[in-house]
Amino acid sequence: MGRSGASLPLMSRRNLFQAGALGAFAFGLSACGSSSAPTISLYQSKPEVIPYFRDLVSSFNTEHPAIHAIHDATSSLSASFARATPPDLGCLNYNFEMARFQERGELSDLSDLLPEANIAPSVLELVDQYPTYPGRTSVIPYSMMGAATFYNKDIFDQHGLDVPTTYSELLGVCEKLKSAGVTAFYFTSADAWTLAQGIADYSIGGAIDVADFFKRMRDLGTEASNDSEVSFSKNLKKPLEKAVKLAEYTNADATSRKYADGNVAFANGEAAMYLQGPWAITEIMALNPKMNMGIFPLPMTENPEDRKVRVNLDLALWIPEGSQHKDEARELLKYLIQPEIADKYNATNNGFGVRADSPAVSDERLKDLQGFIDKAAFYQGTSTAIPKTIPFENYMQSIFTGGSIEETLATLDGDWQRNARRQGTN
Amino acid sequence: MTAQVLPETPLQEEVKNSAPRRRIRKSTSSAWIKTLLLALCSLTVLLPFLVAVLMAFKTTDQAILNQAFALPKPWSIEGFKEAWTLTNFPRTFAVSVLITVFTVLFSVLVSAMASYAIARNWKRKFFRFSSYYLMAAMFLPFPVLALSQVKLSGYVGLDNPVGVILLHVMFGLSFNVLLFTAFIRSLPEELEESARMDGASPWRTFWTIIFPLMLPMSATVAIFAMLSSWNDFMMPSMIIADPSLQTLPVVQKMFQTQFSNNYNVSFASYLLAMAPSIVAYIFTQKWVMSGLTQGAVK
Repeated sequence: MGRSGASLPLMSRRNLFQAGALGAFAFGLSACGSSSAPTISLYQSKPEVIPYFRDLVSSFNTEHPAIHAIHDATSSLSASFARATPPDLGCLNYNFEMARFQERGELSDLSDLLPEANIAPSVLELVDQYPTYPGRTSVIPYSMMGAATFYNKDIFDQHGLDVPTTYSELLGVCEKLKSAGVTAFYFTSADAWTLAQGIADYSIGGAIDVADFFKRMRDLGTEASNDSEVSFSKNLKKPLEKAVKLAEYTNADATSRKYADGNVAFANGEAAMYLQGPWAITEIMALNPKMNMGIFPLPMTENPEDRKVRVNLDLALWIPEGSQHKDEARELLKYLIQPEIADKYNATNNGFGVRADSPAVSDERLKDLQGFIDKAAFYQGTSTAIPKTIPFENYMQSIFTGGSIEETLATLDGDWQRNARRQGTN
Repeated sequence: MTAQVLPETPLQEEVKNSAPRRRIRKSTSSAWIKTLLLALCSLTVLLPFLVAVLMAFKTTDQAILNQAFALPKPWSIEGFKEAWTLTNFPRTFAVSVLITVFTVLFSVLVSAMASYAIARNWKRKFFRFSSYYLMAAMFLPFPVLALSQVKLSGYVGLDNPVGVILLHVMFGLSFNVLLFTAFIRSLPEELEESARMDGASPWRTFWTIIFPLMLPMSATVAIFAMLSSWNDFMMPSMIIADPSLQTLPVVQKMFQTQFSNNYNVSFASYLLAMAPSIVAYIFTQKWVMSGLTQGAVK
């Protein structure tokens, strides 16, 4: 120790120099971010529309010189909340994960903006299907996606088939296609999410009231098990059995096919039906501009009135409690929900409007679904109502690649109960 | 893997030359087998790389066809252009470079000094303990500490690239000290003794004698520090609060989505990001190898 003491003066000089360099670097960096107008950040990370929102933010900045808005697509949301520096305005997919922030009161109340937003009551109901914070309107829906079964109109015409409205009609269509040597459904089972959002969500959503099911499951809390009055084992078994029956009419190589393969195959007419959402339309049309396709909700019962469309709030707006510039963030929110801006967004991105007075979709194919949306015949998928800590997608993958339905659902019930215990919710 | 295709050292050559004839034939045929195996192994790296390059030069229309090995037709640099603007490449690149350069610099300096102190004072409890203390950090991966690091760095205003540099240096310290101490132990202490007799302080001894001798190992440490810092995703994504000061790997996350297949843009961007580490590797390859073997032999 004594020896190193002798060298202290020199050492500190060098350290001083290093610290100075680091300090200068830090100062230089922090200087980049400073500006006279209050800076607010819009967090929006849906990749396809990042350039779109970037443009929106810059036109907002020119219209509101007193506010400087920046667009953030890359930060870690959980980290920013943990650091107590959340984004000022969020524009994200509304799912169970997002609802966790809402449930814990991290999002501020926006109920006074509701009249201006003029959200359709049926859409607003979707928000309340996930755990909310009492007495608050924590999120304002912005865009809704409707997903159902794509079908190749040419193949249907060629074999004299009509769009099925009941489950037995659907089976009939599949049988006819099979005897004609045509693959009825194209499955991409190697991507677990395509099964979860596709066949699993459609078959469950077409057969049971998903929102009511999850409400009862949550009310049960830690009491939920495979013996309780509602459970995954009890309520999902029948729809999934029917779905597995449909899976007999899929392409033989489904287990090794992924989402991108599915788009190519469906665009090339290799199968009559394909279970995907509107996000795939752009790609399919790019692959085959002459593609003649339509969309119908997967019928899972014998009553045509039961047909419903799977929707999700693709984008919803929220302002965190921890935001330092709530007023400015509200200005940006109001700017984004103006009908001419929101409608243009939905028209360009195959979304359905969420306002009571939003115009009908312009996309030819999505028009097939407009009727269902208008009469609120829609549901939020089962896969988005389950916390990510439970690997629901993989469970569905196991069911549709030959696993046992009973065993998988029993596992799911066990997971749900353990999760409820961990959360300590009632 | 590249370490295995090293040219044989003169020593091995000599051994071979002095061996009887039939052994030479045997060793050449086994060398052929080895080369063939290694060539096959290198395909596992080269093929994906080829796909990346081909994809990067395709148009979006061709990229979604899902034909990985098809040649781009026409060759297009649209992907690069779009990646350039989407990631705001010049600024993101600059931030990544700054973080990497400072991380490398401090990693080498701090770990070299710490290792010198530890290696030459091994008999003292304090230094032995600090060595164990630093080694213990090897068993703590960042994800375990992520939450507390995010909170702490936020409290002290280090939720920016400077914080990332600091954490990169700290997290690399244990491994780097391990490398350096092993290396310093192999240096003859007599050199320092003679310097001390000439009146050099430990500080002076370190800079004029030890540090130059450690250069090969410093190069190794620098390369490791550079690669891990340049490619790190988790830490910058958690620590850096200001999106305009984010690093390349984090910004590139926006290309990874289940719904879109803009492979040409993503791969173009990955190639742009990969370029610096490849260039650095080509120029410093000799250093890395010599550093590795020197550390290994002694």
